[in-house]
Amino acid sequence: MAFLKTVGLRSIVLYILLAVFLGGVGYLVVNLFLNGRTWAMQPYNGHLGSQMGDILDCDGAVLATSKEGERQYSEDATVRRALLHTIGDTAGYIGTGVQSTMGGKLTGYNFITGLNQTPFSQLGSTVTLTVDQDVCAAAYTAMDGHNGAAILYNYENGDILCKVSAPSFDPSDVPEDLETNDAYKGAYLDNTLSSSFTPGSIFKLVTVAAAMEKWPEDWSSRTYDCWGAQDVGGSDITCLHGESHGTQDAFSAMGNSCNIYFAQLANDVGRDSLQKKAEDMGFNQEFTFDGVAVAKSTIDLSSANANQLGWAGVGQYTVLANPYHMMVLAGAIANGGAYTQPRLADNPNLLSGLVQPGDRKLVTAVEASQLKSLMRSDVENYYGDWLFPEGMAVCAKTGTGEVGEGKGPNCWMMGFCDSSQYPYAFAVVVEEGTGGIETAGAVVSAMLQALV
Amino acid sequence: MEFLQSGVLPTVLLLVRAIVPCMALYVVWRCYTSFKKGQRRRDPVVMLCEESTGVRFPVLYWENSIGRSRSCDICLPDATVSRDHAVLMRREEGWVVCDTGSHSGVQVNGREIEGQHLVNIGDTIAMGDVRLTLRNAETPPARRRRIFTGFSREAASPMKLMVVASLVHLLMALQACIGEEGFRLAQGIPTLIAMVMGWGLYIWSIGIQHRVSFEIETICYLLSGMGVALLAAYNLEGIKTQLAAMGIGILLFCFLIWFMNDMDRVARFRVYIAAGAILLFLINLVFGREQYGSKNWIFIGPVSFQPSEFIKIAFVFVGTSTLDRLQTKKNITEFLVFTGICMGFLFIMRDFGTAVIFFSCFLIIAFMRSGSVRTIALILAGAAIGVLLILRFMPYVADRFAGWGHVWEHINDSLGYQQTRVLTYMASGGLFGIGLGQGNLAGIFAADSDLVFGLVCEEQGLLLALVVLLAIAMLTLYARSDVTRSRSTFFSIGACAVAGMLLFQTCLNVFGATDVLPLTGVTLPFISAGGSSMMCVWGLMAFIKASDERTYGARRSSKGGRRSQEAMPEGRHGPAGRGSGYRAESYSNTGTVPRVRPDFAATGEVYSDTGAVPPARPKPPVRPDFAATGEVYSDTGAVPPARPKPPARPDFAATGEVYSDTGTVPPVRLKPPARPDFAATGEVYSDTGAVSPPPGKGDMEDINSWG
Repeated sequence: MAFLKTVGLRSIVLYILLAVFLGGVGYLVVNLFLNGRTWAMQPYNGHLGSQMGDILDCDGAVLATSKEGERQYSEDATVRRALLHTIGDTAGYIGTGVQSTMGGKLTGYNFITGLNQTPFSQLGSTVTLTVDQDVCAAAYTAMDGHNGAAILYNYENGDILCKVSAPSFDPSDVPEDLETNDAYKGAYLDNTLSSSFTPGSIFKLVTVAAAMEKWPEDWSSRTYDCWGAQDVGGSDITCLHGESHGTQDAFSAMGNSCNIYFAQLANDVGRDSLQKKAEDMGFNQEFTFDGVAVAKSTIDLSSANANQLGWAGVGQYTVLANPYHMMVLAGAIANGGAYTQPRLADNPNLLSGLVQPGDRKLVTAVEASQLKSLMRSDVENYYGDWLFPEGMAVCAKTGTGEVGEGKGPNCWMMGFCDSSQYPYAFAVVVEEGTGGIETAGAVVSAMLQALV
Repeated sequence: MEFLQSGVLPTVLLLVRAIVPCMALYVVWRCYTSFKKGQRRRDPVVMLCEESTGVRFPVLYWENSIGRSRSCDICLPDATVSRDHAVLMRREEGWVVCDTGSHSGVQVNGREIEGQHLVNIGDTIAMGDVRLTLRNAETPPARRRRIFTGFSREAASPMKLMVVASLVHLLMALQACIGEEGFRLAQGIPTLIAMVMGWGLYIWSIGIQHRVSFEIETICYLLSGMGVALLAAYNLEGIKTQLAAMGIGILLFCFLIWFMNDMDRVARFRVYIAAGAILLFLINLVFGREQYGSKNWIFIGPVSFQPSEFIKIAFVFVGTSTLDRLQTKKNITEFLVFTGICMGFLFIMRDFGTAVIFFSCFLIIAFMRSGSVRTIALILAGAAIGVLLILRFMPYVADRFAGWGHVWEHINDSLGYQQTRVLTYMASGGLFGIGLGQGNLAGIFAADSDLVFGLVCEEQGLLLALVVLLAIAMLTLYARSDVTRSRSTFFSIGACAVAGMLLFQTCLNVFGATDVLPLTGVTLPFISAGGSSMMCVWGLMAFIKASDERTYGARRSSKGGRRSQEAMPEGRHGPAGRGSGYRAESYSNTGTVPRVRPDFAATGEVYSDTGAVPPARPKPPVRPDFAATGEVYSDTGAVPPARPKPPARPDFAATGEVYSDTGTVPPVRLKPPARPDFAATGEVYSDTGAVSPPPGKGDMEDINSWG
């Protein structure tokens, strides 16, 4: 059967192979065209570092620039460390930094020339951020070597003025023991965006909001008695340091941060109502920030018993909160419930203006004003306005999330300034601190001082 | 030096990187169009004439099956003829007929033949009741015009294409030489060495062997040289191996072409080649060392190599065969068993990538030999069951490919680490690349072998990478277009198998690295670092080269000697009249003593001239091979005016062919006898000297004067 004639015919089998090959190449090239930018903007891509444009802060101070093929950062070592996670490192391991998320603009990537430096790609490669390097440095200094996160934004226009994560390192002088030294564990992670922490008492804002929803008329007049410890569902719920607060209503319980009040309130509100309210306020919800999916705040009460529900009501149990989320929640409370999308640059891309979710609400306007009065009362009557610069009318809630394992608590403070002159909302968490007001309060204070 | 540090340099280098793929594309494209133009047309070479009825059967190929079956090249619808009766083949000594297991046998001039038997023009072949006489084909080739001539009617000169290919290499090497530290000549030396080897092959092939076509070698040289330039920038120390392998590969290429000239020799050695391959596998298994998960390396002192690469060559040798043997032995059992053994060894060595390549090659050969879709479907089904069994009982094999399709979820583990790097750096390179030696992929394991496609993309740009792929993909077109023109099914099947296998290997390499397919770890032909691979690819290319019937024309001519004395006529194009050949200066550049065109002389065909025929001329010299095939030669030339009438020569008488001299015959001459081989090799001759018609017009005149 094998004749030259038929062999000739059969050789057409090569065309099948050729067609498959060309199809594969076509598929690859089309994919490269569609996804090339994403493929190139990987944190490990070394080409990104050496030829990026300048990054400036809101006052025009140079945060990062390229000189002689090397990436150089701010001259101030504290600023370098404070803004490491916002800007990103040279090696690109910090994928949430601007050098990764805005790499396209900074490097001038396009399909034709890739990451080549051409006269065209250098046009408009400078990025001006909304952050203020002095505020960031102040926050970083105030964290005093503790790990944690501090983030602050303008809840009216979304500009992020401060975004600090620790542990950090100096991107201009990367420590050699970065990978091995436990002190740097998690240094590539931006805690403001990519971590969630046990919230402790700041979660009481959610519990009380659930009560507002359930009893809109008399939520504030409900009282519970506190004797330092209370059997809820078979085990004790205790207040911090075993303090007894006596008969508490919503305002005094919030000010005293009375666990027993909120544990019983959570049980009276009910598991499902609390779960639902938390989700309405952004727990288990996804927030995106400059294309980065922010770590979710999580709550799952589906299998919680009465005691666990009680602990969940005061921000313990398995509840976790993300600092970025806590900040936008505080901003929403300040804003009458409306969510403002935070941003790091004036106009990261043209589309962002179009998809501004202006009508997204985290709490109702009524709840927002009630929460605001609770938080204002906290500062006015319990923490003290003297902590903060004059005229800022700070509204806040502190928290100490117990993490166990012999570690100190997560010290939180979330809140905002009820002032049109200073429309700032913030969230601060410091790991292994002393207490909410002592540790986190100091960081908030430092940030606000630097903003004056 | 200031220029080097200035900001202008990156832009200049970017422009260089933009020019390189254009030049490379030019070489790849022109090689193919020139190759096509150089081919003869499918015109009959000789005829078989059935005396009783006067029916003529054109003999179109070098190997022709004769029989009652419709799929035969020459179909004799006569009950006394077996379905596959005989094979008529052109061999070095002339036309040969061979019985392929017929019932009634084959008689030549009334005598029963055994094995291969020479047939001269005028001889009668009897098969059953049919008697056929071998005659020269009479009709002059009709002129056909191609619809698409590939932007150019002229074939490019091999020299020009080689020069452009070398320029491509020089421009690549230049990028590596110019660095931040100034000019580093060392970076260019490997490229220069590769150039010496490429031009050495050119001189050997064109200058000494007098072959007319150099397209396939040019492609090989272009790709190898680009690989060398790329790898020299990657690792200057390791390039020695690559260069040595390229040199040995070229020698292997030349050796195999010589080896395959004699079909009988190939047939004799076939069983030894198969045995040798199995022995090599055994040695590999016993003495092999495990490298990166596969036990496919042998270390002898400082030298290490992968036997499986060389077994690819043996595999093609064992799989393919000449038509008479294919006709006598129709099943592929032997080859199937050999394939089974090879695959078995490869699986034991866990070299799955190579196993798949062998399998693809096997499929192509099996299909081309059997033509049976059912057989192929059965084989594929069997293979699928085999794969399922492997996955069932060796789950770790599947684990190796677990990242396929979602490598971005495995950025920092072994399942997707390499592929994501390739994609990232490929995108970073854009169309023109970041610059030679500037790539970041170089820091990733196997960047110079399994991931080399990514390295090309990153450093030299997507465009050049696509040109490389195009060059490899077009080898299938070379093989395809030669398939009915080659001297034997041995070459047809071999060339197709090789082209298919290389393309398949390219698929595995390119698509594996870019996550279109699972990453199997095979080399990219010519480009990847790896001595065994480089040698093997050059060796395999010998099959494609040998498939081109022009390859062997020249070799025989050198036997005939006297080449330089035989002043071949000038001033006209080949009788095929198409393509119109290489430009004069590259072709016969001597002026006064024009060179004989290798194939012309080689195949000993008749040439007769039209032009300004002098009134009388000397007797044309008869060359030995002419005598053998009994063909006629007539000469023109600017040779002395008067000559005697040539006496009838004995051999002419013997073959009963006519010789007519132009001298006595006035302007309109006898129609020249069709020259079998000339037409066969279809070469084009174009001339420098006295008469130089414009290409287009000249062609037409030729044709007219032929008629």
